Amino acid sequence: MRWLARLRRRARLLFARSAVEREMDDEMQFHLQMETEELSRFGAPPDEAPRLAKRRFGGVARYQDEARDARGGRWLEELRQDIRYAVRVLGHGRGFVAVSLLTLALGVGTNTAIFSVVRGVLLRDLPYADPERLVSVYSVIRGNRAAVSPPDFMDWRAQSRSFSGLAAYFLSTTNLTSDGEPERLTQARVSANFFDVLGIQPALGRGFRAGEDILGAPRVVVLSDGLWRRRFGADRSIIGRTITLDDYPTTVIGIASPQLRFPLGVDLWLTTRFDERDLAAKARGARWIDVVGRLAPDATLSGATAEMNAIAARLAQLDPRHNAAVGTRIITLQHDLVGDVRRPLLVLLGAVGLVMLIACVNVASLSLARTAARGSELAVRVALGASRSRLTRQILTESVVLALGGGLAGTLLAFVATRALVAYASADLPLMNAVRMDGVVLVFALSLTMASGLVFGIVPALHGAGRGISDRLRTASTRGASLGIGAGRLRQSLVVVEVALAIALLAGAGLLARSFLRLTSVDPGFRADRVATFSFTLSPVRYPNGARQALFAQELISRLTHVPGVRSAGISFALPLTNSAFGFTFAIGGRPETSGPDEPRAQVRVATPDYFRTMGIPLVRGRGFTAQDNLGSPPVLLISQEAARRYWPNEDPIGQTVKTGWGSEGRLFGGTIVGVVGDVRQYSLAMSPQPEIYSPLAQWPLDELSVVMQTAGSPASLLPAARDVVRQLDPTLAVYDAQPMSDLVRASVAQRRFYASLLGAFAALALVLAAIGIYGVIAYSVQQRRRELGIRIALGAAPRLVMALVLRQGLLLTLMGSALGLLGASALTRVLEGQLFGVASLDPVTFAIVPAVLLVVALAACVVPVRRALAVDPATAIRAES
Amino acid sequence: MDPRAELLQGTLDLLILKTLALGPLHGWGISKRIRQLSSEVLRVGQGSLYPALYRLEDRGWIDAEWGVSPEGRKAKFYRLTADGRKQLSAETEQWNVFTLAVNHVLRAT
Repeated sequence: MRWLARLRRRARLLFARSAVEREMDDEMQFHLQMETEELSRFGAPPDEAPRLAKRRFGGVARYQDEARDARGGRWLEELRQDIRYAVRVLGHGRGFVAVSLLTLALGVGTNTAIFSVVRGVLLRDLPYADPERLVSVYSVIRGNRAAVSPPDFMDWRAQSRSFSGLAAYFLSTTNLTSDGEPERLTQARVSANFFDVLGIQPALGRGFRAGEDILGAPRVVVLSDGLWRRRFGADRSIIGRTITLDDYPTTVIGIASPQLRFPLGVDLWLTTRFDERDLAAKARGARWIDVVGRLAPDATLSGATAEMNAIAARLAQLDPRHNAAVGTRIITLQHDLVGDVRRPLLVLLGAVGLVMLIACVNVASLSLARTAARGSELAVRVALGASRSRLTRQILTESVVLALGGGLAGTLLAFVATRALVAYASADLPLMNAVRMDGVVLVFALSLTMASGLVFGIVPALHGAGRGISDRLRTASTRGASLGIGAGRLRQSLVVVEVALAIALLAGAGLLARSFLRLTSVDPGFRADRVATFSFTLSPVRYPNGARQALFAQELISRLTHVPGVRSAGISFALPLTNSAFGFTFAIGGRPETSGPDEPRAQVRVATPDYFRTMGIPLVRGRGFTAQDNLGSPPVLLISQEAARRYWPNEDPIGQTVKTGWGSEGRLFGGTIVGVVGDVRQYSLAMSPQPEIYSPLAQWPLDELSVVMQTAGSPASLLPAARDVVRQLDPTLAVYDAQPMSDLVRASVAQRRFYASLLGAFAALALVLAAIGIYGVIAYSVQQRRRELGIRIALGAAPRLVMALVLRQGLLLTLMGSALGLLGASALTRVLEGQLFGVASLDPVTFAIVPAVLLVVALAACVVPVRRALAVDPATAIRAES
Repeated sequence: MDPRAELLQGTLDLLILKTLALGPLHGWGISKRIRQLSSEVLRVGQGSLYPALYRLEDRGWIDAEWGVSPEGRKAKFYRLTADGRKQLSAETEQWNVFTLAVNHVLRAT
């Protein structure tokens, strides 16, 4: 309570100082009056009494001043004075204030926007109970992360003690065909304990019960909040109703809480239903599920890791064929979810940090010049008795007031920038959805603002109020009453630092930009222009066997090729760059079977004969698939060049046979190689082509398929007609991911484009700020040297010489800054290594271009000062200042 | 600050607190009562009362409020707070220990 009263008094002092002063005056006057009356009562003569009272009281002014000290908060009063003074002083330097405010606003704005992204994506806690105890558990094969096989998962669950629960999950798609238009949805298949492990129960209805994930249990589903609102109008009576998923009646038992966004992008949760094939001993090598766990109350991450390593070692002994080289790893779920974006986001945060530093250096340099120009004013104040500390405080206050103005503008800018960033990136960076400006972000902006005010204010403050200030009064008659050589040197070093920081940023941005250009000019192995694509998933009820699936595919292709504008059409399983293929190991006929790391592996692809022509994938040797390769004929295969190179290095693969342990409907995948096709970058443009094996769709039908169509005109305009064809064939089939192939390619590099363009923008900002810094210093120096230049011109110096004089200074600073910056960049760009493609972190081209760019910018910044120097009129310049 | 002044200041604080323990008073009233109670022995420089009052208020030992004096004039009245009461008893005890010690020394010679 005491502090509250004190706070109230301080506030009064700050905002109603005159009232406080008047009251003090009133109080003392009252005292004098009472004393006077008392004295009169005791017989003092009326004209003597007031004088006597005053004498007894003592000096009113003196006691008032003592009282001011005694009532506390004097520093507040002085601060108020300083702020008023600062506002008045700043009001006089419009140009300086405008440039400083803009610089600071850009610095604070970019930093706050990126911080809000970092906070939203990296620092936000998962909305589950005790989120720090949630972990991802996965297999590791030769150092690489791998998914988990169901038999491994079952053994982990049975043998581990470190978890209060381990839950399996995997993503797939499903067709919702009841309640309106057929729609393809993303489903998570999860073990029954999934919601318990996450610690978040459905908002409505119930979660899964033990046993509901066993084959044959009734089909039940939990809807996501988004799907429930969008598709079912947030109807609470949906609980207990039956919807149709992949033609199976499924009972809705719950609506998930809106916070539950795991796995990301999921529309509904169903239970896993592992069958005996999934759990068979020979399926231990089929790794396709993910595992999330909750650490037991007494368990630690390292303890759990040790236990899982022991279990992995046991499993390796038990089944060396599949698990010899398989370990496990545990990381926190939070870390797992932000794994790929963590490094790039931190790099961006570092980059805007550098921008902020440059902004501060810039404003410090500008302030220094201003303080120098105010030298005589400061000297007069010292002469009148202002203490050095008071003067320092005054200059610092000016900086902080300036910073607050910039910070305010920057925060407004950050509001706009954050929204723009989220809009720009949320389609490709799903985690961006949680990004928004909140209290913490605003506190960050305020702290940054105050810190920047102190950082760029401290140099001029110490310098302006420094020793030797009284000398200035004496030298005030010479030009500018400047801070002399000292301040000039200091400003020049600041510019060198600024150039160095800009160089480091430019180098980073240059590397990312070159990587991006390299990546987008890489040959993906297929042709993306004028190709349209869409996908669909066949329902297991309507298309229960391969024959029916193959028949549908054949019919679809033949109808699509009759659509006007379609030149050719093909179907495949898993389009390039969609990351949805699966790999398997195989044996080569006539060779001894190998196992372990040396066992041949390849990605399975399934395609119709025209797929290769439509996608522009060349047939290198042998023959392609034909219509005669069907269920009734001997199985044939095509392999990619990489597969031929790797597994048939010195022989002709054509005519060789391949067999695998993977199959369905009683057959194993395999056949005779009839041809070799070109390599395709299936995973990402950045990843070199992997060995591929293609089977004809007619011989190896699948239910999840993608259509590609080569079109005569714009691919997007054909998609509606294609949808119509599908609807005629099967009105319950949901079409999804309908887009031009070029969009798919663009989306695959969207994250890289996002980071590269942001870093590029920040580097450009740094460049502009550095240019302003160089301009400021050179222009100031030309003004300082007017007299010298005037004398030189009067003595007959050629314009060329004058120009050289000015340029030399600018170039020297730039070169020094560049050297320093390249040194820093060579250390800093190492953090980018994982994000580069085809470019070394010390790429000589980038490291040569960047200083050249800066040099050009520096020259441009010198143009105006040079002109001014050339325009100096010797007569006026010499006469004016002495 | 020289030790004499500090001693005086501390004593003045004690006197003000003691005076206000008897009831709220304005500044002039405090100075008058100190004079009366000390039989005019202690004559505080009247103006020096005010810095002391402001300091005590800032420390939260006394409260100030504008009111009307018995003469019907507007005056600022000071009142002891709960913290001030505690401070008074602490300072009184200190003072007693101090005077006892000084008296003891004086009697010994």
